[in-house]
Amino acid sequence: MKLSRRHFLAWAGLSAVGAVACEGFGIREGELNIQSPVSLPEDLVRGKDNWYASLCRNCPSCEGILVRVMEGRAKKVQGNPLYPTNQGKSHARCEAGVQALYHPDRIPGAMRRGGNRGSGQFDQIGWDSEGMETLVRQLNDRGSRAVLLTKPTRGHLGLLTSRFAQAVGAEHMNYEAVDNNTFRTAVKNVYDQDVLPDFDMENANFILSFGADFLSTWISPTRWNRGYGEFRQGEGRSHRGTLYHVDSRFSMTAANADKWIPIRPGYEGHLALSVAQVIVDENLQARGVDVDAMLGGDTGRALLNDYRPENVVGQIGLTPEIAGGDPVAFIKKLAHDFAADVQTRGPSIAIAGGSAGAHSNGLFNVEAAAVLNWLVGSVGAEGGVRLNPSGPWQDVPSSSSSASLDDMGRLIDQIRSGETRMLMLHNVDPVHGLPGSLDLEDAIVSAQDLFVVSFSPFIDDTTVLADLLLPDRVYLEDWGDDIPDPAPGYQVAGFQQPVVNPLWDLDPRSFPDVLLAAADGAGVGEQLPWSSYQAMLKDSATALFEENRGSIDAGSADEFWTALLRRGGWWDESVTGPDVPRPRAGLLRRIMEGASTPTFAGFGGEGTLYLAPFSHNTVQDGELAHLPWLQATPDPVTSVAWQTWVELNDITAERRGIREGDIVRIESSQGSIRGVAYLNPATPPEVVGVPFGGGRRHGSPYATDRPASESSNVANILEPTRVAGPQSLAWAGTRVRISPTGESVNVSKLEGNVRSVEVGLSAAEEIIKTVAPGNY
Amino acid sequence: MIPLMVAGGIFTVIVGFVVVVLFISWFSNPPFGLGNASAQPIAFPHTVHVEENNIQCEFCHRNVTKGDAATVPAVEQCLFCHKDISGRDGQAQTEIAKVQQYFADEEPIDWERVHRLPDHVRFIHEAHIRFFTSETGTGGASGQRFDINGSEVSGSLSITQTCSICHGDVGSMEEVQPKEGQSLKMGTCLDCHRVNNVPTDCTICHK
Repeated sequence: MKLSRRHFLAWAGLSAVGAVACEGFGIREGELNIQSPVSLPEDLVRGKDNWYASLCRNCPSCEGILVRVMEGRAKKVQGNPLYPTNQGKSHARCEAGVQALYHPDRIPGAMRRGGNRGSGQFDQIGWDSEGMETLVRQLNDRGSRAVLLTKPTRGHLGLLTSRFAQAVGAEHMNYEAVDNNTFRTAVKNVYDQDVLPDFDMENANFILSFGADFLSTWISPTRWNRGYGEFRQGEGRSHRGTLYHVDSRFSMTAANADKWIPIRPGYEGHLALSVAQVIVDENLQARGVDVDAMLGGDTGRALLNDYRPENVVGQIGLTPEIAGGDPVAFIKKLAHDFAADVQTRGPSIAIAGGSAGAHSNGLFNVEAAAVLNWLVGSVGAEGGVRLNPSGPWQDVPSSSSSASLDDMGRLIDQIRSGETRMLMLHNVDPVHGLPGSLDLEDAIVSAQDLFVVSFSPFIDDTTVLADLLLPDRVYLEDWGDDIPDPAPGYQVAGFQQPVVNPLWDLDPRSFPDVLLAAADGAGVGEQLPWSSYQAMLKDSATALFEENRGSIDAGSADEFWTALLRRGGWWDESVTGPDVPRPRAGLLRRIMEGASTPTFAGFGGEGTLYLAPFSHNTVQDGELAHLPWLQATPDPVTSVAWQTWVELNDITAERRGIREGDIVRIESSQGSIRGVAYLNPATPPEVVGVPFGGGRRHGSPYATDRPASESSNVANILEPTRVAGPQSLAWAGTRVRISPTGESVNVSKLEGNVRSVEVGLSAAEEIIKTVAPGNY
Repeated sequence: MIPLMVAGGIFTVIVGFVVVVLFISWFSNPPFGLGNASAQPIAFPHTVHVEENNIQCEFCHRNVTKGDAATVPAVEQCLFCHKDISGRDGQAQTEIAKVQQYFADEEPIDWERVHRLPDHVRFIHEAHIRFFTSETGTGGASGQRFDINGSEVSGSLSITQTCSICHGDVGSMEEVQPKEGQSLKMGTCLDCHRVNNVPTDCTICHK
């Protein structure tokens, strides 16, 4: 073949293409390398992790969480970014979930009492051979005179526990030591709502808070911390929101406020009505608000005029020092700031609860503050009080209140009289949480014929009195659900799934499954028509799937269930709260007619101080005191950990000869406790603050191994005063005497021992304040 | 009709491609004899570490008795000793300084591979070490064991002895090179498996 020039070029071109193609299949760079890593592989985490969405039960607000699981062990808990209430944020309490799971002091399996009641001696028994058999027999014998005591339960557990109690003829009571009944009652009375509203802080302009420590412990702190962050420095906001906090104690929320107003405890309602009076008097209310209808005529207006700032400042203890000038002018300016910018800068919100609602007149305080939201038109408005819908299932409770102190008193009487012959406890510790004067422990111990069964996974001061222990699984091992209360303004159902199995040496059983089995055994199983708790939840998930709405788009019920668990819940943003109702006619007048001043039983007069107990930031009312991470988490205001500290104003302390670290005796007419003095110039001189949660006597050493001088239960000395209306415990209604005991310890705190003081009070200090080094 | 020139060109490309692929596959395994392995980033003398200081193979190749890959040691592990040992002569000092610098810079060391099996082979060091170091092995009914060349192994071997079956006497090598005359190709594996009465199913070794 003749090789023409044309052929030559063609051959050459094809050869070049072939060469390039072949080069592409050569050995890649680095293929023949082997790498020495810098760090030892043994130090690296091996294995693959799985992340499961679930719910945190350490928080009453039930946050959505993600749990990192490696090789069958839960390692880390963090917030679920998809979950509508907390949106990826989480409380320190959530993180400690793994400690509850792997806690050395968990009750290992079914046990029966081995010694005298309260001795703490228990013998292990078989679940089925003796545990369930005993439970069923006792239910058959005593079911109609039994009381099932649980935390406020909503969602499917709420439905199941109430159905169970109904089926066996028992009474179901919810209990929590620091309840929100007053706030719930106020929400019902003022906004006509059965479920709690949310506060749209993200879009608010001004927040006026009365006693509600919403940045630390009040109701749904993680959700509101998130909102608060946006409120202060949210992206796209034109200005920083303003927070005023009224509270007799320097709380976390007070520390974050632009202005903290420590008026006399229990007079929050008077201040709120004074603000209302200025708004009405100066016609500052939002457009369209029918003030006359709220006042119910001239009588109401006359009543409101009694709350003119000049009339109330003395009574509520609003001094020029607190107000930073003329107190009357301060209230007027506060009313202007609260109301005047509603049209231009966005709504204002008044929030009330916590200590403001924990006085004998607590309901009045909270209602008086809540009514301010009507005046400024923020009920139902963006950036205001966001009303919530109820949950997605009609028969499943989406809200739950606690037993009142009257209810608990009645229960104790029934135990003493023998009317109540069986007590079933699940994750509640009323012996620790109720005021010492009610002496539930004595009632249980001295009852002639009482059978106590506890389903709690840990020993506490009440569970130690039980005859039978049937420990529940910890929430990371169990199914569950929650309907957030408050929801974020639309319908939400959170789902909890087991992320790990119990360790080999533990044999807990799911509490709801035990109830189902017990109902079967007692012959009333047909009233609880579910094969298991998981099946119950799955049925409800299928019902949601069939409604074909909300956040999950699935082709089948199984696909829906999987997607539901993967996301940690289901929500439907299109189902929002009800249309904004109009305030009831004469609402403001009715509140004013119910006005009262707080009463303080027991001690009074010279030398006594207002006792301001408060929920511990992490161990709360003591329920979580067995978790060492939470004991060791420093209080955000004082930085104290592990101890029960006593917040005292330094001048008040000096007058009594008390220095920081001294063990002091706090005495009310109900008894006395001891605690470690923590001096803080921010504590009002007439107030002494003590956290709940200390002084547990039974259970894990983490909760109990400290001397009574460093860990004590403030509930023991509370006066059993009721909040008028909901009849809850008025836990802020106690006056006490403080005295040194002569003992002293180091305060277990992070901050240094050098006090920070304000410079510039004297002429000499003024030089320090005003002259900078560069001036010389 | 495809012009002859185009057909010839396509044929050339295909044949060329096949030849190159076969060439690369066959010769890409360095032990076969593409010559010595490339120079290493650090002139690491096995002689000093193994022969003189009697460090066992598994001290550095920590995974060899535990998993599939023998693994090269982490830089941090070199620093176990070389935090303090800086070398007895100039060259050693230079090389050790390089290791210390890698660690200070938090840079991994990219060694040149000397032994390499193709990606479709699953070779587990641990099983082979276990076979030769155990009292009885897992071999035939006779309990006899044979090395890679078919020579009988008497008793149980040490880990070092076991390593040397395939890798040669690395401890005496100033610079690691493949064992002379040892291909480590599929035939070698099969021969050894057969003589030791170990399964030779495809899936035993192939992914």
